[in-house]
Amino acid sequence: MIPTEFEYLRPRSMEEALGLLAQHGPEAKLLAGGHSLLPLMKLRLAAPKYLIDLGGLEQLSYVRDDGPEIAIGAMTPHAEVESSELIRRCCPLLAEAAAEIGDVQVRNRGTMGGSLAHADPGADYPAAILALEAKIKVRSREGERTIEAASFFLDLLTTALQPREIILEVRVARDRERSGAAYVKLHQPASGFAIVGTAARLMLDPKGNCETARIGVTGVGAKAYRAEAVEKALAGKRLTAALLAKASAMAAEGVEPLSDLHASAAYRLAMAEVITKRALEKALDRARGGRR
Amino acid sequence: MKLEGMETVPAAPAAVWSLLNNPEQLARCLPGCEELVAAGKDIYKAKLSVTIAAVSGKYAGSVEIRERVEPSRMRLRIEGRGAPGFITGEGTLELVAKGNETEIRYGGEAQVGGVIAAVGQRMLQGAAKIMVGQFFDAMKKQLAKGA
Repeated sequence: MIPTEFEYLRPRSMEEALGLLAQHGPEAKLLAGGHSLLPLMKLRLAAPKYLIDLGGLEQLSYVRDDGPEIAIGAMTPHAEVESSELIRRCCPLLAEAAAEIGDVQVRNRGTMGGSLAHADPGADYPAAILALEAKIKVRSREGERTIEAASFFLDLLTTALQPREIILEVRVARDRERSGAAYVKLHQPASGFAIVGTAARLMLDPKGNCETARIGVTGVGAKAYRAEAVEKALAGKRLTAALLAKASAMAAEGVEPLSDLHASAAYRLAMAEVITKRALEKALDRARGGRR
Repeated sequence: MKLEGMETVPAAPAAVWSLLNNPEQLARCLPGCEELVAAGKDIYKAKLSVTIAAVSGKYAGSVEIRERVEPSRMRLRIEGRGAPGFITGEGTLELVAKGNETEIRYGGEAQVGGVIAAVGQRMLQGAAKIMVGQFFDAMKKQLAKGA
């Protein structure tokens, strides 16, 4: 349980971090909390020669009111997202997902940027980020760019981030009127990761029908995804219990389910339907003015 | 762990068959392959350096061709070992002509042990699929060059 030898680097500025990353290339890993990376290193499944700790970049830990959007710095710990008054008021789905991550220790050390960049297939944030249509701002020495959540997760542990890019912040829109969202998760009890987790966000029109639905699902396949079939089935419709049930059955449409010791592919598919239905029901209740 | 699937590559079965039986060409298709050498009749020794995002490791192993029906079918046995664990498995490859292309049907079952099996369980299947994808992408490039 001792990692292979590595050199520990602790940059004080973003410029310095980007320089180190460019210098050491594929032999370096960024440390942004480390609750996924350090276990991998201790088991020697990962053996980076250089560990660039972003923990010194305090300027990347913030939750900021930015007009129509909320900006969350990449190094903001899950616990702060979970407890932020601003997030709980303006974008409670994100706080709800943060509260479901791992345990207290993980939430105190783990960061939003770290979780997104690692892209664990059972991580909680990706589902919420997808449902919220968040924007992920990243930077390299060449400049900045913004990646839409929908095109961020590419495959198992693989994202649209380029090797020399670092996540700067995540931007989410404020909830509008007549909207409701919920994150519901089936835990793998030992690890706390999601066997299935669905983040559902429903926006209603003045008549109370569904204007748009945004559904992010994690845990089922190698990467988190938007359940577009469910979104389409709900858009423009009156949201009856029967329709929610029917739409939920499409939660894993076109997705190749993972299978492991804890949950077979068939079980994951069945649970995708159940968990998505619960998330939709909860989101609808909240959109109609139930407890947020 | 079971793994099966199908992939269509733009070449005739004979060309695919010749690639599969040419260690030099095959080595260029295997993800992270550092070495692939013949070690007897129908046995190859390989060294792979596998990297999927944060997870990386070096593996040494062998591939044995147990049965071959040119140019349509071969049965393989693989063994591999690295610091994080070991893998053994058996599988078949079937080549089916589809016009100018070849449909490759693959299937097999592998036993994985060691740390990687105990801790990496959740990731194994996904990782295997990524590697299979990389293998076929590289194979398509090789075949395109040969054509």
